[in-house]
This record gives sequence, C-alpha cells and structure tokens, in this order.
Amino acid sequence: MSESDMAIIKPEMMKSYIWLETSDGSIQQVEQEVAMFCPMICHQVLQKGAGSSKNNAISLPQKVSPAMLSLVFDYCRFHQVPGRSNKERKVYDEKFMRMDTKRLCELTSAADSLQLKPLVDLTSRALARIIEGKTPEEIREIFHLPDDLTEEEKLEPLKNTMDDPRIRLLNRLYAKKRKELKERAKLKSIEVEEHVDERSVDDLLSFINGRDHKVVKTSKSKKKNKKKEEHKNGRSNGTCKVSNKDSRNLHSKQRSVDETSSSLGSVSNLLSMEDDIFSPKAEFEDGYIDDEIDPALKEMLDREVEDFARRLNSSWVLSSGQERQPVHFSINGNGATRRLTGPAARQK
Amino acid sequence: MNNLPEDCIAKILSSTTPRDVCRSSAVSRCFKSAADSDHVWNHFLPCEFPEGFRAPEGLPTKKHLFFSLVHCPLLLHDSLLSFSLERSTGNKCYMMAPRDLNITWGHDQRYWQWISLPDSRFKELAALKMVWWLEITGKINITLLSDDTLYAAYLVFKWNLDPYGFRQPVEASLFLAGTEHDLVQPSMVSLMQNPGSEQGQRAELRSDGWYEVELGQFFKRRGDMGEIEMSLKETKRPFEKKGLIVHGIEIRPVLP
Repeated sequence: MSESDMAIIKPEMMKSYIWLETSDGSIQQVEQEVAMFCPMICHQVLQKGAGSSKNNAISLPQKVSPAMLSLVFDYCRFHQVPGRSNKERKVYDEKFMRMDTKRLCELTSAADSLQLKPLVDLTSRALARIIEGKTPEEIREIFHLPDDLTEEEKLEPLKNTMDDPRIRLLNRLYAKKRKELKERAKLKSIEVEEHVDERSVDDLLSFINGRDHKVVKTSKSKKKNKKKEEHKNGRSNGTCKVSNKDSRNLHSKQRSVDETSSSLGSVSNLLSMEDDIFSPKAEFEDGYIDDEIDPALKEMLDREVEDFARRLNSSWVLSSGQERQPVHFSINGNGATRRLTGPAARQK
Repeated sequence: MNNLPEDCIAKILSSTTPRDVCRSSAVSRCFKSAADSDHVWNHFLPCEFPEGFRAPEGLPTKKHLFFSLVHCPLLLHDSLLSFSLERSTGNKCYMMAPRDLNITWGHDQRYWQWISLPDSRFKELAALKMVWWLEITGKINITLLSDDTLYAAYLVFKWNLDPYGFRQPVEASLFLAGTEHDLVQPSMVSLMQNPGSEQGQRAELRSDGWYEVELGQFFKRRGDMGEIEMSLKETKRPFEKKGLIVHGIEIRPVLP
C-alpha cells in the first residue's frame, strides 16, 4: 500500500506529511500543518498538488538550505499552534532571533523565498538593529560586503539637484566649522576620553582633508599654503581654508588623528560625509559666502555645526597633560562662538 | 548578505533611521541601490501631507523630496503656515505666521505694527510698539502633526532697539482647545535671558538669530483630534510692554 492509500484509510491516526526537496538534493518530509504555514509551500500543494509523495516532492528555492529550512520550520511549528498568547509569541521570537549575523541573513533569505512574511519582518528588524548607528566600514565588515563603489559614487550619494541655497549653506557650514576649530585649537582644556569615537575623528579628518583622501598624504607645507581647493568633477565638498597660524595646531591634531585612524584608510572621510549627506551636498563654489540664506536652512546648518562642536568636545584625543574639563560653546546669531562657563553653560 | 534580494535590504533599511540609510548608501553597490530606492524614503516621508501640499517640482526621487522638505520649508495656507520635516525622524514641523495668530490689539496701529524683515520666512511680522494687554494666541489642528510624537511649541521672536517691560516672566500656556479655563495651568517663562532667575523656561537663542521660548509640550497620539491652543500673555502688571518682534509660533518634535 502506498502512503497516500494509508492516509485515506486512517486519516485520524496518520499525520499528513509534505515531501520537500532542498537545494542540496536531499528529500525530507515535514508535518503538513507546519509546512503549510509557509505560503510558497501552501501554494504548491493546493494549486499543483505537489508534495504528496517522495517522487512528487516540492523542490524548494535554492536559498533554502536544510539548516535554514529546519530553523524556518521550528518557527512555523511554534507559531502555527493557535492557542498561544501574544506575549508567548513575542518571547519566543526574541529568543529565536538570537543567532549570529550570518545565519540571520541566510534565514531572511530563506524566509523571503518561502514568502513567510512574519519571519521576514522579524529578521529584518533584527538586522536593522544591527545596522543602526554603524559606519559604512563597519557594515561592510559585519556582512562581508564588497567595497565596490567608486570613490565618486561614495562621495556624492545625493546628486546635486538644488543649486545656490545649498552651496551657500555648505559654505557657511564650513566657515563655521573652521571658526570652531580655531577656537578649539586655542583652548587648552579639552576632555580626554578613553576610546576614540571613530565618527568624530572621521569627521575631523574629513574636515581637515576637505573630504579628499589624497590630501592626507600630501606634505604639510602644501596644506599650509592651500588657501582654496579647486574641486574637479564636483566631487568632494568643503575646503579647508586654513590660515597659516592655525595650520600648525591643526597639524599636530592631525597627527594624533592620523595615528588613531590609520586603519581607516581612504574611506575614513566618508562617514562624516554620510552624516553630512543628511544636509544635501552640492558643487562647491570657492570663496562665496552669502548670508542671505533661508533661516530654516541657517538653522539646520547651525545645528549641524553645534553637533560638530559637541562631537569635538566629547572625543578629542590629545597627548597627556591636558586638563580634563569640557568646554561649552554657544553660537550667537552672527556665527561667532562664545565660551560659556558656570551655570550659564548649556548642558549638551 | 550578498544573497539578499534588494527589496529585502530595502525592507531592513526602512526600519532604521534616515541617517543610517544615508550611511548605507556608501557601503556597497547593492546597499546603495537599496538605500537610494523610493521604497525606503517613502517610508520616512509622512503618510499624510497637510492640505494644500504640493511636492516641489524637479525632484527626481523620494530621497530628494525628503531632503527638500527638511531644508526648505514650504509655505501653505496662503503663506501663513510653514511646513517642513524633522530630519532625524521625518516628523512634521510647522511654524504659524503672526498673521495667523490672534494678537490682541494687533489690528490697532497705535499698538502693533506689521513689518517685513529679510530674515524671516513670512511676508509680515508683528512688531510691538506699545501695549498694556499683551496676549498672543495660536491654534493648530492636531491632526496636522505626526503620530506618536512629543511636540513642543515655541514663540519665535526678537527685540527691537529698546524693548521694555519684559524683565519679569510672562505667562505661557498650552492646552487642548475646549479645556475649561480653570483647568488650564499657565507656566511662567522669561523672554529675556536673565542668568540669575531660574524661574521656569527661559528664552534661548536659535541658530537663525531669532530667540525662542517654549510655551509647552504635548504628545500626539494616533487618532487624536481637536486643536491645540498655545498662548503668551502678560495682562496683570500695570505697565506697558514695548519692543517685541514676533516671527511666529513654531511647533516641532522634541528630540531626545
């Protein structure tokens, strides 16, 4: 007697199974109610009558390996039971998601090909939490992704569609950042932190380098004499209009910054670029500072500058012998910075 | 991760923040393609736009639209209401023009003048000449705002050459329109920055050169209806007030 005959005779005693073939060619059977939880399998069974026997096994998409299939079915087995409370399901899901990133990706892939939307949602959210707050470098490392974008593509994710107001905005941003940097360089008391916040180091690096990694490698004298940087291809943003007296301070900082960020290589300046992509970038017109900017843009711009100041504050790495004391800045309407002390210092 | 289809990556990115998505576009080619996709940026744009909203022309993608709304507030409702997005979340922000506010004695040229300034987004601003009864009230329909967000309302203002009468704190209140008057608890806010007095909210200097003082906060839940009323008042002291220039009342999310 074939299996299907037996199923007809004793339906209550025989559990129905669905036959499945995984990407490696092996065939297995799974309880019907568990397998039918997956829309893709369900569709195959109902529309095409597949999966009823070993010869008629449903062949699963390539992305579903046996290991992943077993995980998917663990999930299905739990959730297809109708009597569970929402809390139970949530607790199970949290536990279920505890696996390494590689498996999470594979599981997302498998769940997606099986069209099991709740599991895709769950894994996507878990992966989103991993991605949040990471630099592009870090994301590449975690997920073993190829670094296959050209320099130009990395630096200009948002194509320049708006013109003048944003150029001015950009100019103002850099003028202000420069001013802050100057003030910073003058002050001796800076907070020293245990570990370097890579982000602000990048930010600083990129600011110093004018977002062109080639500048890092040029000699200091070139940097000192560089008043304006011509930008070809409309690529990078920002120029470091460093005046001579400031450049010395900046270079000593640059050295320490370089040391701590040596591993970052050529794309180290990208992170802050991405942070600033937040404010769309445009072609840079040298020396053009226009104060007639929409106040909303100004506001956003100044917020960014304050952000930068805050980051400088919290993770500046210098040689020993510095006082540990945070410095509070405030920016008044015409862009000058003012040091606040005592109770008037704004908690940032 | 290489094997994930682009729409999966897009789905993952939709659950992060605009900032993270921008960063993602520098990771790799497939990430960039997903990060720049309309699917992701649609997720950060509001699902409902205020009445009279029209997307600016010439913006090729949703990402461009998002940033355009963040950086260039749009004027709606006869140019009396400015609309923009808060960049880290995509929540809606508004600023009401002085002409949209109810300024007691505002129509009387002896007390208030209507002027134009180059650094404002509205055509006309209210400049106080002299008044005893200072009362500025604004109302906004709560359905215009983003769900599940904590908002704060700020009076945005400036001083002219010789302000007078504002050294003492004034009353600010924010409540749901229709609340019984006895139930409304005003708070005291100081418009001038007196480092000494720690009483209540103080005015802060904004990055655009204007000052702002918080009038109150409220939380908008999904399905909330009605109007939020906010006001600034000084009617109890028997001397005149002079020299205040009102830019408007801004309503924006409170950032953590």
